[in-house]
Amino acid sequence: MTLSRRKFLAAGTALAAAGLTGCGSRSSLGGSNELSMWTWTGSVNDGLIGQAEKAIPGADGMKLAMTRIGSNYKTKVLTALAGKSLVPDIVAINDDVATYFPNADQFHDLYELGAKELEKDFLPWKWKWGVTPAGKMLGYPMDTGPTALFYRTDIFQKAGIDVDPGAVAQLAPDWDTYIALGKKLKQAVPGSAITDNISGIYSYRMAQQPKRYMTPDGKYIGDQDHVRQAFDLAVRVIKEGLSANAQNSTDKNAVVTNGKLVAYNAAVWWAQLGPKNAAPKTKGLWKVTAAPGGAGNRGGSFLGITKYCKNPKAAFAFISWLESAKNQAEAFLDPVLFPSTPASYTDSRLSAPDPFFGGQRIVDVFADSAKKYPGAFFSPYDSIIDTPIGAELVNVEAAGKNPDQAWADAQHQIERELTRAGAI
Amino acid sequence: MAVTSKAVPASLGATTESTDKRPNKYRQALPQYTAVAPFFILFAIFGAFPVLFSIWISFHSWDGIGPMKWVGLAQYQYLLTDATFWKTIGNTLIIWVLSTVPMLLLALVIANALHNATRLRTFYRIAYFIPNITSVVAITLVFGSIFSNNFGLLNAFLQSIGLGQVDWLTQPWGIKIAIATIVTWRWVGYNAIIYLAGLQAISADVYEAAKMDGASPRQTFWRITVPMMRPVILFTAVTSTIGGLQIFTESRVLFGDTSSIGGPGDAGLTIVSYLYQSAFIKNQFGYGAAVGWALFILIVLFSIINWRLIGGRDEERLTRRAARRVERKIAAQNAKREAADVH
Repeated sequence: MTLSRRKFLAAGTALAAAGLTGCGSRSSLGGSNELSMWTWTGSVNDGLIGQAEKAIPGADGMKLAMTRIGSNYKTKVLTALAGKSLVPDIVAINDDVATYFPNADQFHDLYELGAKELEKDFLPWKWKWGVTPAGKMLGYPMDTGPTALFYRTDIFQKAGIDVDPGAVAQLAPDWDTYIALGKKLKQAVPGSAITDNISGIYSYRMAQQPKRYMTPDGKYIGDQDHVRQAFDLAVRVIKEGLSANAQNSTDKNAVVTNGKLVAYNAAVWWAQLGPKNAAPKTKGLWKVTAAPGGAGNRGGSFLGITKYCKNPKAAFAFISWLESAKNQAEAFLDPVLFPSTPASYTDSRLSAPDPFFGGQRIVDVFADSAKKYPGAFFSPYDSIIDTPIGAELVNVEAAGKNPDQAWADAQHQIERELTRAGAI
Repeated sequence: MAVTSKAVPASLGATTESTDKRPNKYRQALPQYTAVAPFFILFAIFGAFPVLFSIWISFHSWDGIGPMKWVGLAQYQYLLTDATFWKTIGNTLIIWVLSTVPMLLLALVIANALHNATRLRTFYRIAYFIPNITSVVAITLVFGSIFSNNFGLLNAFLQSIGLGQVDWLTQPWGIKIAIATIVTWRWVGYNAIIYLAGLQAISADVYEAAKMDGASPRQTFWRITVPMMRPVILFTAVTSTIGGLQIFTESRVLFGDTSSIGGPGDAGLTIVSYLYQSAFIKNQFGYGAAVGWALFILIVLFSIINWRLIGGRDEERLTRRAARRVERKIAAQNAKREAADVH
């Protein structure tokens, strides 16, 4: 075929016209027999998605079209929602699901699609997080992030401490005894640290609390004792010299690789991000036990069906299939997402011994933590409140700022931000 | 086209008489306008509209999804009393000075060396330009591991020669120096190439004349090269100002995409990273837009200052100097004549 100038121009005009009129004509992304889904890398099991891309189980004739969004996931979702067209049918939502609550009208109420019947299969606190204070269900539970204490058996042995998980849990049931343990470790092996930085202690202490920054009826409680105690605890760990002072990701990896971080109270996903990735040579040297200060949770995600969805029934059939106990167990193997369905915890695929942790069945520790976690209310403003506190904590550790001044500055900043956001 | 419009009227009668005399101006210009239209249409959609829309947003409170709430000038009021915002201005200016001054001086020296190089000219030019086309993210990751506090290359080096450790990425000045270094490294070659182009535009005669008069290389550089490069230096100063006030990626990649985008104590939080943090991390699009407009005003201001300082009324200054030179020449001639008269 010869390409004449006339043909070229005609083709160009046609393309431009198609491009311009393309937007706005449809409200949801993808073909009529396709359900579009957006998620970030490493949040679903590829095998299961592959199945749904051929045919969604329980929804005849519908196929899934999934897009992995690289960076700035939330910004892209918000942009799509703001544009009100070409919005994906299903979106993955991170643990900040509450920030979507003020805009719950952009999503389908999953209770109306039959979610109620499945509630009993899930961890109660996890389920509750996806429901707005007005009782509308916006987020369907995906994985969770139960916390536990990771520790290096070889260093513990050098300090003359019994490395059996049961014994360690008994030795450090709360934060006071944990700090004492940290000091003992540091004496035996100089340079030892029990957290990568000050924020690690604060975040994981807050992750154990039954309440956080706001009450469900919208009262600010971030200036109360439970927050101040977590703040002071974090400062105390620093003052005792038990922090590795690793503020950026390079340093955070380095303290794991070089064995400076000998114990860390962290969420289940840290096993992969921390030791397995940063220090593969420490294979067999790690163990996990119940965390000092009790069960906790940090992280975990949800799935939402936008109001633009072309077939909400099929979308719900898909997400309830994807997040069934059996399939969540599959997602634990790859890409290591801890299930929110207690029935998965006895699945043989989860309870297999983990060679990286010296053959320990680590799922038992995390399942216990997930079941015992008291749950706390997350408000739409939690990230606004958390940011100044976190920043001031870093000031205390990195710049030696006076902790009382840091606390006062954080509270002042929070008050300003919350007033502007119209929260108080 | 004109031919057909002339041919048609006979059959159409009186109404087309006017077109017979004067072909439709707009119709005649249509092909030209059509030809340039794609740019203007694209510019209107992707350039002008977002700019105007950001003004509109800055008068609203908007989280990106729900309805926008009109708040008038409240975002700007908040901005003026926002300690963090003023801090970001300070940070940006410090980083800008720390990066631009050494960068432009180095670029001038490098350009001079490149200009005088006799061997491997193309190789050097490419070598100096390469940092500019390398991905900022990749560069910053590399510099991140160089400046890293505990396990960075730089600290390892400092320790090996007994100078101890500097907390590059946690101390306010360390952070600013680290960011400024990355900026300098990235843009020094770019500016050097521009200076080189300016150098090559200077006529060789001027240099020959200087050589004949016995000027030293240093004198040649400061008395000839720099003054004749004034317009080029002005150009790089203005572009570096605009670039310097928009520094963003470096601190973002050094400190991650989280709430601590500016590093400990927000010491590396620049105006643009604050804009990004407000709009895209905290989802306060109205406030982000207001920060953007504050930045715009700042850039205009600094460009004017630059213009005055470096370029400022160039022609006027030149003509004044020329006039003085002529006066001196006449005075000298007069003096000579007088001396001749005396004899």
